[in-house]
Amino acid sequence: MENKKKLLLEIKDLKTHFFTEDGVVKAVDGVDFEVYQGETLGIVGESGCGKSVTAFSILRLLDYPGKTVDGEVIFKGENLLKKTEDEMREIRGKEIAMIFQEPMTALNPVFTVGFQISEALMMHFKISKEEAKKKSVELLKKVGIPIPEQRVNEYPHQLSGGMRQRAMIAMAMSCDPILLIADEPTTALDVTIQAQILDLMMTLLQEFNGSLIMITHDLGVIAEIADRIAIMYAGKVVEYADKKTIFHHPLHPYTLGLLTSIPRLDIEMKRLNVIPGIVPNPLHFPSGCKFHPRCRFATDRCKKEEPSLIKIEEGHLVKCWNVDKVLKEVKKGLLVEV
Amino acid sequence: MNRILKKLFSNATSLVGIILLVFFIIIALFAPAITPPLFDDPYQIPRMSWDINPQPPGSLMSDDMKEIYGFMEKEVKWEKAICGTAEGGYDIFYGLIWGTRTAFKIGIITVFISMLVGIILGSISAYFGGWIDEILMRITDIFLSFPFLVAAMVLTTVLGRGLDKVMIALISFGWMGYARLIRGSILSTKEETFIMAAKALGVSDTKIIWKHLLPNTIFPVMVQGSMNIGSMVITAAALSFLGVGAPVGYADWGQMVSFARNWIIGSPGHAGQYWYAVFYPGIFIVLFVLSWNLIGDTLRDILDPRLRGEL
Amino acid sequence: MLSYIIRRMLLLPIILIGVTFLIFCVFSLLSPMERLATYVRDPNTLKSPQSTERLIAKYHLDEPFPLGYINWLERMAHFDLGWSQTANQSVADAIKQRFPATLELVLYSIIPVILIGIWLGVISAVHHNDMLDQTIRVTAIIGWSLPTFIFGLFVLFIFYGILGWFPPGRLSAWAQDIVYTGHFTSYTHLITVDALLNGNIPIFLDALRHLIAPIITLSYISWAFLLRITRSSMLDTLRKDYIRTARAKGVDEHTVIHLHAKRNALIPVTTIAGMMIIGMLGGVMITETVFTFPGLGFWAAQSAQQLDYGTVISFALLFSTMMVIGNLVVDLSYALIDPRVRLG
Repeated sequence: MENKKKLLLEIKDLKTHFFTEDGVVKAVDGVDFEVYQGETLGIVGESGCGKSVTAFSILRLLDYPGKTVDGEVIFKGENLLKKTEDEMREIRGKEIAMIFQEPMTALNPVFTVGFQISEALMMHFKISKEEAKKKSVELLKKVGIPIPEQRVNEYPHQLSGGMRQRAMIAMAMSCDPILLIADEPTTALDVTIQAQILDLMMTLLQEFNGSLIMITHDLGVIAEIADRIAIMYAGKVVEYADKKTIFHHPLHPYTLGLLTSIPRLDIEMKRLNVIPGIVPNPLHFPSGCKFHPRCRFATDRCKKEEPSLIKIEEGHLVKCWNVDKVLKEVKKGLLVEV
Repeated sequence: MNRILKKLFSNATSLVGIILLVFFIIIALFAPAITPPLFDDPYQIPRMSWDINPQPPGSLMSDDMKEIYGFMEKEVKWEKAICGTAEGGYDIFYGLIWGTRTAFKIGIITVFISMLVGIILGSISAYFGGWIDEILMRITDIFLSFPFLVAAMVLTTVLGRGLDKVMIALISFGWMGYARLIRGSILSTKEETFIMAAKALGVSDTKIIWKHLLPNTIFPVMVQGSMNIGSMVITAAALSFLGVGAPVGYADWGQMVSFARNWIIGSPGHAGQYWYAVFYPGIFIVLFVLSWNLIGDTLRDILDPRLRGEL
Repeated sequence: MLSYIIRRMLLLPIILIGVTFLIFCVFSLLSPMERLATYVRDPNTLKSPQSTERLIAKYHLDEPFPLGYINWLERMAHFDLGWSQTANQSVADAIKQRFPATLELVLYSIIPVILIGIWLGVISAVHHNDMLDQTIRVTAIIGWSLPTFIFGLFVLFIFYGILGWFPPGRLSAWAQDIVYTGHFTSYTHLITVDALLNGNIPIFLDALRHLIAPIITLSYISWAFLLRITRSSMLDTLRKDYIRTARAKGVDEHTVIHLHAKRNALIPVTTIAGMMIIGMLGGVMITETVFTFPGLGFWAAQSAQQLDYGTVISFALLFSTMMVIGNLVVDLSYALIDPRVRLG
C-alpha cells in the first residue's frame, strides 16, 4: 500500500563552487535528492560538508564568491536555477521559506519582531500595515509565544533564545510556504526547547501538507522526524534513502561509520567506534572518492575514480564502488534499532 | 607574516605605496650625497640669493652668495636652484631632500613614542580593570576632548618653535587612540580560556601581559600606527604652515609651503608664476603621506577578514 | 537607557574639570610675566614694578597652584578671558564677533560631508571590489592624503588665481559696506541667512561665492574619512546573517541595502560622524587661514603666530568645551538610535 506522493523538489547533480583568492572551493560537488510533498527530508553530515551551501543554492542566496555552476533544482516542475531574480523573489518566503541556526544573529536587531514578520506578508500579499500586524500577532500566538500583542512590538534582544527561534518560525511560515528549509534550527538551543521547536515545525507544516528539509548533524533529531535521509560528505550526497533503509541497511561506508559510532547502552563497548582521520580540507580534496583515506573498504579504484551514482533500488542511491562489501558488514547486525 | 607581505606586494594600490616609500627612503638615506649641507646644521636650508621674491627653477646662485660660501670654505655642489627658490632665496631642492629626513623623523618618532605610551596605559587599564581602568579612561577622555590640531598648536605656541617641540605636542595628544585600541583588544582576549589557564598555572601578571596578551593584541595597533605616520606628518606640516612649527629656513616641507602662501596667486597678470614654491614641497608631502596610506589601507583590508576568520 | 544617560551626564563635570585643569597646567608653563600680559590691554603698564606687583596680586599669579587654578576657573566662568593683542579687543568680544562666520562655514560644510561621505560609502560597499568601488576608494585615499592646506591652496589657485570665480574673504568690499553700515539687519549674523531675510539676493550670492571654496576645502577630508568608515561598516553589515534572512524572505535588493543594512551600518557611523564634525574645528583654522576668512580659526592662527597667549589659551578652552558637549550629545543620541541601548 504505497501512497504515490507528489514530487515537490528534485535536486540533480548540484554543484556550487566558491572562487576564492586561495583557489576554488567545491563546497557542493554533486548533490542529488528528492523531497516529496508532506514529507521531511533530513540532510545529515559533519560541519563543512556543504549542507548549508546546498540549502542556499536552492534559494539562490549565495554570497560572493560562490556560484552554482552545474545541476538542476526542479521545484514544482520548474528549474529554479533558470529563473530570473524577480521570479525567485516571488518564491522566496512565499513558496520556499528558510530558518537559520542562530536566531539572535538571524533577526535584524533594529527592527521589531512584528515588523520583520509583517514585512514578508506585506510584500507577498500586498496587504496593509495594520492587517499585517494583526496577522503577525496571530502568528506569534500560533507559535506559542505568550502575550503576543506585547511581543510584537519588541526587539529581538528582548526575547529569550527559544522565543526568538519561534519568532523566526512565525516569520518563515507567515506566508504558508509549501517547503520549509531548516538549517540546524535547534543546534543552538537547549534539549528541552529543541523538542518543542521540532514539534512546532511539524505541526505547522502538517496543517497544509507542507514539506520540510531538515539540515543537521544530529542523528537523533533525524531519527525522530525524517522520512527520507540524504547523507552528505565533502560536498556530495553519498547515500540517499528512506529512514528505515538508512538505519537498517546502509550501503555507504560513511553512513555505516556514522551509525556505528553512536554509543550503545545495550552492548558492551570497550572503546567508542570512530571514523578514523578527519574531514578533508576543501582546498585539497583527495583524488578519486573523497572518503577513501578514511574508508576501510577502500580499493585502488577508489583512489583513482570518483564513484558514480548507483541506484540500488527505487529511492535508494549510493555513491560507492564497494557496496557489496558493506552489505556483508551490515549483515553482521551491528546497527541501531529505529 | 609572509602571507601578508605577499599580499601587500600583489595588490596594486599597496604596491604603488611601497614603491613610493622606497623612493623616499633612498632620498633620505642619500641626502648628504645629493645635497651636501652648507651649514653646520644640515637642516638649515642654504640661500641662493637674498631675493624676497621666489625665483623660478633653474635660477643661478647669486654672486654675493657664492662669495659667502667661498669665505665659509664650503663647497657648493648645486649652483642652480633646480626647483627654484622660496621667499628669501632658500633653495627648494635642498629643502625637499633634507625635508625627507625630517618627515621620516617626525613620522616614525612620534608614532613610535605615542604608540608606546598608548600601549602601556591601555594595557594596564585593561588588565587591572576597576578603579585603575576608570581613572585612566577618564584621563584618556579628557585628552580626547581637544581637537588635535588645536591642542598641538596651543602647545607649540607655549613651548616655542622647533621640531622637538612639535614632536612633543604631537605625542602628547596622539597616544589616546592606541590606548583605546589595545584596551578593547585586551578586554576581549582577557576572557579567553588560554589566559585563564595561564593564571590557573600561577603565571605572574606581568608575564601574562607580556607573553600572552600583548602578542595577540598588538597587531591592529601597529597597523593603526603605520597609518598614522602620514597624518602625523600632515599635522606637523600644518603647524609649520600656520607659523608655529619648524623655524624659518628649516628643511621641513610644511615650512616651505608656509613661505609660499602669499605667493600662490602670483602678481597681477601672471597668475601662478610662483607655482613651484608650493608645488614641489606640496607634491612631496602628498606623495609621502599617500604612500603610507596606500600601504596602511591595504594592510587593514587584509587584516579585517583575517581577524574575523580567526576570532 | 536611563542608567546610561545618568552615567554619561555624571561624567560631564569630571571631564570639564579635567580639561580645564589640563589647560591651566599648560598655561602655567608660561612665565608669570607672560601670563600677566594676557590680561592687560597696554603692555606699557607692565613697565613699572608697582603696577606689575598690583596686577600680579589681582590675578592671583603668585599663589599656590590649586588656588591659582580655582581663581582662573572662576574668572573664565565669568567670561573674563583677558585681552587679545591680535584682535585689539577683549577675548570675549572677539569671540562673539567672529563666531558667526565660523558657524556659517561649518554648518554649510556638514551637508556635503554627510551626504557625499555616506552616500558614496554605501555605493562603494555595495559594489565591493569592482571598478566603481576601487575608483571611489582610491579617490578617498588620495583625499585624506592631501593635507587641508595644500588642497586649500590648490583650490585658491585654480578657482581664484586662474578662474577668478571664488575670491577669498567673506564678502566683497561693496557687500561689506552694505552689511556693516547700510540698510541691513543682522538677525542671525549668518550672512547668507540674513541676506535672504533682508530680501537682498546680490548679497546672498556674494556671500555664497565666498563660501564655496572654503566649504570644499573644509569638507573634503571629512567626507573622504566618512566614506571609508561607512564603507567598512556597510561591508560588515552586509555579511551579517539577518541580511541573508531578509533576502530569504524575498525582500528586494534595494530594500535590503537601504533599509535592512543601512539602518544597522549607520549606527556606529553616526557616532563617529558626530565626533568628526566637532573635530572639523581643527581644520577650520587652516581653511580660514588659507582663504583669509574672518572667523575664529583665522584669528586663532594669527594669535598663535604672534604669541598672543591669552587668545590661544581661551581658544583651547572654547574648542575643548565645545568638543566635550558635542561628545555628550553624540553619546546621548547613540542611546536613542540603537534599540539595544534604548531598551536594553
